[in-house]
Amino acid sequence: MTDIALAPTPDPVSTRNLRRGFAAAAIAAGVLVGLLVMIWALAGAGYFWPIWPASGLGLPIGILGWVTWVLSDPSRRRVGLGFTIVAGIFGTIVAYLSIVWAAAGAGYFWPAWPALGLGAVLLVHYLIVRFVAPQAEMTERIETLTVTRTAAINAQEAELRRIERDLHDGAQARLVALGMTIGMAEQKLATDPDGARALLAEARGGAHEALSELRDLARGIHPPVLQDRGLEAAVRELAVRSPLDVHVTAATDRLPPAVESAAYFIVAEALANASKHADPSRIDVRLERNGGTLSVEVVDDGRGGADPEGAGLSGLRKRVEALDGTLRVASPVGGPTIVRADMPCAL
Amino acid sequence: MRVVIAEDLALLRDGLTRLLRDNDVEVVGAVDNGADLVKEVLRERPDVAIVDIRLPPTFRDEGLRAALEVRAKAPDTAILVVSQYIEQTYAAELLADGRAGVGYLLKDRIFNVSEFVGAVRRVAEGGTALDPEVVAQLFSRRRKGGAIDDLTDREREVLSLMAEGMSNAAIAESLVLTVGAVEKHIANIFAKLGLAPSGNEHRRVLAVLAYLQSQGSPA
Repeated sequence: MTDIALAPTPDPVSTRNLRRGFAAAAIAAGVLVGLLVMIWALAGAGYFWPIWPASGLGLPIGILGWVTWVLSDPSRRRVGLGFTIVAGIFGTIVAYLSIVWAAAGAGYFWPAWPALGLGAVLLVHYLIVRFVAPQAEMTERIETLTVTRTAAINAQEAELRRIERDLHDGAQARLVALGMTIGMAEQKLATDPDGARALLAEARGGAHEALSELRDLARGIHPPVLQDRGLEAAVRELAVRSPLDVHVTAATDRLPPAVESAAYFIVAEALANASKHADPSRIDVRLERNGGTLSVEVVDDGRGGADPEGAGLSGLRKRVEALDGTLRVASPVGGPTIVRADMPCAL
Repeated sequence: MRVVIAEDLALLRDGLTRLLRDNDVEVVGAVDNGADLVKEVLRERPDVAIVDIRLPPTFRDEGLRAALEVRAKAPDTAILVVSQYIEQTYAAELLADGRAGVGYLLKDRIFNVSEFVGAVRRVAEGGTALDPEVVAQLFSRRRKGGAIDDLTDREREVLSLMAEGMSNAAIAESLVLTVGAVEKHIANIFAKLGLAPSGNEHRRVLAVLAYLQSQGSPA
C-alpha cells in the first residue's frame, strides 16, 4: 500500500531520514577517528590520545544510534518511548564516563556518582511512566472521545436532515403530483376519456419515478447489497456501476456493520468525486485487513486538486473518527489523488 | 377567480397551475419564493394566494410569513396555505387576526380536485377552509368529560365540518342530509356547548375552534 505519498504520516518518512542521518554521522565519525589513529601511529604511537576525541564523538553517535534503533520499530518501546530513549541516553553517558575513567588511569571509580544521579532520575521517570502517565493518557482519551462523539452526533444530525429534505422534495413531492394527476383523470373520465387516459399514463410514469427515487434514497442510506453480501461485494458493485474504469483488490470477510458502512460510503464518495472533478483514466480501490485494522484506499490518476475539507469527505471523516479511525486525502494538483481510511475493526 | 401560486418545487407548481386552469380558475402568477409572492400579489391583486408553507431560503415557514405579510398589505386577497405537514401552531397563527378568507390544507386535499377547487373558491369568497386533520387533532386532544362528550355522533360530525369552514349547504351535501336537518343539529350543538349562535360562517369557525382549543388537555 502506498503510505508514503500521504500527509501527515511522520513515522515512515522521518525514521528513514533518521537512519540516513545516523549512518552518515557514524561514517563521518569513523573516518575522522581512523584519520586520528593513523596520525597517532605515524607520530610514533605512545599514549593513545585518540581515545579522547574518539570517546567524545562516541557519546553523541551512541545516543543517536540508540534513538534511531528505538524509533525504527514500535515493538522496542514497550515501557514508553520517552523512557526507553532516556534510559539509553543515560546508559551511553555512563559508558562514556567509564571510558574516560579508564583512560585517565582508573582508580577511584568516580563515575559512580553521576551514574547514581542519572539512575535516580531514571527511577523517577519510570515511576511517572508506570503510575502517572496512564492517568494523563486516560484524560486525553476522554477528551478525544468527547470531541469525536460530538462530531459524530452533528454528522448524524446533518445526515438525517439531508434525508428528510430528500424525502420531502423527492418522493413526497412525486406522490403529491401523482395524486393531482389521478384526481384530474377522475374528473375527466366521463367527459373526456382520452384526456383521462393520457393523464393516467402520466400518473403511471410518475409512480415509476417515485419508486426509483425511493430506491436511490434507500441506497444512499444503507444499500441492500452491503447488508446481504458484505463490503467487498458492495464495493465491486460500485465499480461495475461506475462509468469509469475501476479496479477492485479486496480480501476481506464480514466486518462490523458500522465499519462496513463507513468504508462503503468512503469508496462511493471517492468514486463520485473522481468522476465529477478528476477525469481519470483508471481508479484503483484496495480493501485490506491487517490484524485489527481495515484499510480502504481509493487512488485515481486524474487531475487532482481535491479539497480534503469538502462537504462529503468531512462528514465521512467525522464518521470514521467516531469509530477511532483516520481518513486522509492527498491530492496534489496534477494528481494522483489518494483517499485512505484506516479503521480498527474488532476481531 | 384569479389566483397567485407560491411553490418552490417546479413539479408541483406546474401541476397545480394545470389543475386550476383545467377547472376554470385563472392563474395570474406562479412564483417560487416569499418575496416574489408579495410583489406579485401587490401587482396582480388576485382573489386568493395559494402558498406552500415551505419556501426558500430556509424551507421552514417562509411561506407562512409571506402569507401573513400578504394579509397585512393586501387585505382583499384571501390566503390559502398548503403544506405536506400539519402544525397546529401555524393554524393558530393564520387565524389569529380573526379575519375571514383564510385556509390551511394538507397537499393531500388537492387529490380530490373538485373539493379542492371548492375550498379555493370558498376561501376566495371570504370563507374558511381548515384541513380535517387540524380539526381532528383538536378533537383528539381534548380532556375527557367536557361538553363535547354530550354530543351525538352525528352532531360531532357536523361540528367537525363546521370547524373546517363548510357552509350549511356543503355540510348537508357531505352528510347526505337536508339543510334544515343540518341547521337543527347546529342549533343543538351550540346550545350544548354554551356558545352563542353566529350567522357568519367564519365567526362560527373561530368560535368552534376557540371552544375546542379551550377544551384541550394541557400539552
